[in-house]
Amino acid sequence: MSLDRKTIWAIGGGKGGSGKSFITANLGICLSQLGVRVILIDADLGGANLHTLLGISPSSISLSDFIKKRVAHLQDALIPTAIPNLQLLTGAQDLLNASEAKAVQRHKLLRSIKQLDSDYILVDLGAGNALSVLDFFLMSDGGILVVTPEPTSIENTYRFLKSAFYRRLRQCVSSYGVKNLIDAVSDQKNEMGIRNPQELIEAAKRIDKEDTDKIIAEVESFRPNLILNQVRTKKDIEIGFSVRSACKKYFGIHLHYLGYIPYDQEVAHSIRRRRPLMLENPRSRAAQCVSEISSKLADGHPLSLRLSKTPPGGSLAP
Amino acid sequence: MKPIEEQTYYEILEVTPNATAKEIQQAYERVRETFNDDSVAIYSLYSEGEIKKIQAAIEEAYHVLLEEALRTGPSSSHVQMADRQKWEKTSEIETGPTEHAEIRETRPTPMPRATAKEIQALTGIEDYHGKTLKQIRERMGIELEAVSAETKVSLKILQSIEEEAFDKLPALVYLKGFLRSYAQSLGLDAARVIEGYLRGVNEHNKR
Repeated sequence: MSLDRKTIWAIGGGKGGSGKSFITANLGICLSQLGVRVILIDADLGGANLHTLLGISPSSISLSDFIKKRVAHLQDALIPTAIPNLQLLTGAQDLLNASEAKAVQRHKLLRSIKQLDSDYILVDLGAGNALSVLDFFLMSDGGILVVTPEPTSIENTYRFLKSAFYRRLRQCVSSYGVKNLIDAVSDQKNEMGIRNPQELIEAAKRIDKEDTDKIIAEVESFRPNLILNQVRTKKDIEIGFSVRSACKKYFGIHLHYLGYIPYDQEVAHSIRRRRPLMLENPRSRAAQCVSEISSKLADGHPLSLRLSKTPPGGSLAP
Repeated sequence: MKPIEEQTYYEILEVTPNATAKEIQQAYERVRETFNDDSVAIYSLYSEGEIKKIQAAIEEAYHVLLEEALRTGPSSSHVQMADRQKWEKTSEIETGPTEHAEIRETRPTPMPRATAKEIQALTGIEDYHGKTLKQIRERMGIELEAVSAETKVSLKILQSIEEEAFDKLPALVYLKGFLRSYAQSLGLDAARVIEGYLRGVNEHNKR
């Protein structure tokens, strides 16, 4: 059992259609092929379609059965996939307002996800800035932003990142004064004239020294990741580095550019056939880039994790 | 996280303090691309005024650091001159016209710059008075603000050193440190500068 050793990655990024589900499904397959156990969770409550990308028909059991208490344990809502080591928790099919799930339900769900028995858990987040989406992103060991090189996607990503950033800061401070400041900065037209993280820190310094130190520490430890999807030109690839640079200057955070995935007709073909790209066409350029990113995700974590899964005297998984 | 006005030139260009001229040039092109008006990567993040401020800071950082790198670079003077002309040409072409004019205005000496060692050899300077230091600095076309930014020594202290305002100078142990930073930032032999300058301080005290 390695309950405390599992890694949770949340794949988000604000905008619909940027390829979050495609990336989640195919990263999950890559990781499971390394011989580790993977659970995919479709947390796009209200717009779930991870199962379709994996070629699985709408399941009779899903996340909503857990939310509605028809199953007692989250583990019981998991369904197997055609791929060894890979399990799926399908999203709610019917809860239109699920993304606005109540706080109690959200916390219960987050706790249960952390208790699932697996090596890797990939959570596919929905679009938008709903609190449930932000909390999923923040509770994970690594949040991954999927962005396409277009102004619309970039705009939503920054909106998402700002929401997540300020929510994280708000959770770490204790004084009401500083909490109010953080609430104010989320409103761009606030009367205090605080518009960005730097001005927030300056204002916080005047209120509470301890909270200011906490904020600075949180900024330092907040390290989201970036995948640039649907890249068409060399110049597009550079946008990933530019976003990293802008995040450093604007938020003061270290964004890790995990990699990019080229625009590839094969992706659309594989989705239409409802066959994951990694299985359908593992030699395509997009699949190779996904595979590279997955080995980066696996590398960030001790090999011992994989070795510990090897039965005594057995050979390493292929 | 610091506002752009408080970031060092290295932070602004995202280079290490020992970056070569080539690395500085590449870094500059990269951040300039990131923070240009039409950059997709910063779309919706900044107000127009904030972007202008960042752009100005990038230009300033680039000019100061590039000069510094060319002056202290390990290459022979021949190569160095060729390099410098090349770099200056590229910046001439690529920098926006209005911003460039602004930068130029603040640079006092457009004439070809001599290196500190050349000046030393020419003048045979032995005693480094405040005035001599100032002269060397001006001949090299370096602003006192740039020395201050690089050495983190306050502008007031640097001015006091140059003006030999002895009553305003800090205690000897600090003064030595400041002189060393100042000398190194101009590419001068720090030990000789400290020795020469302190000789002047002693003579003044005897009087």
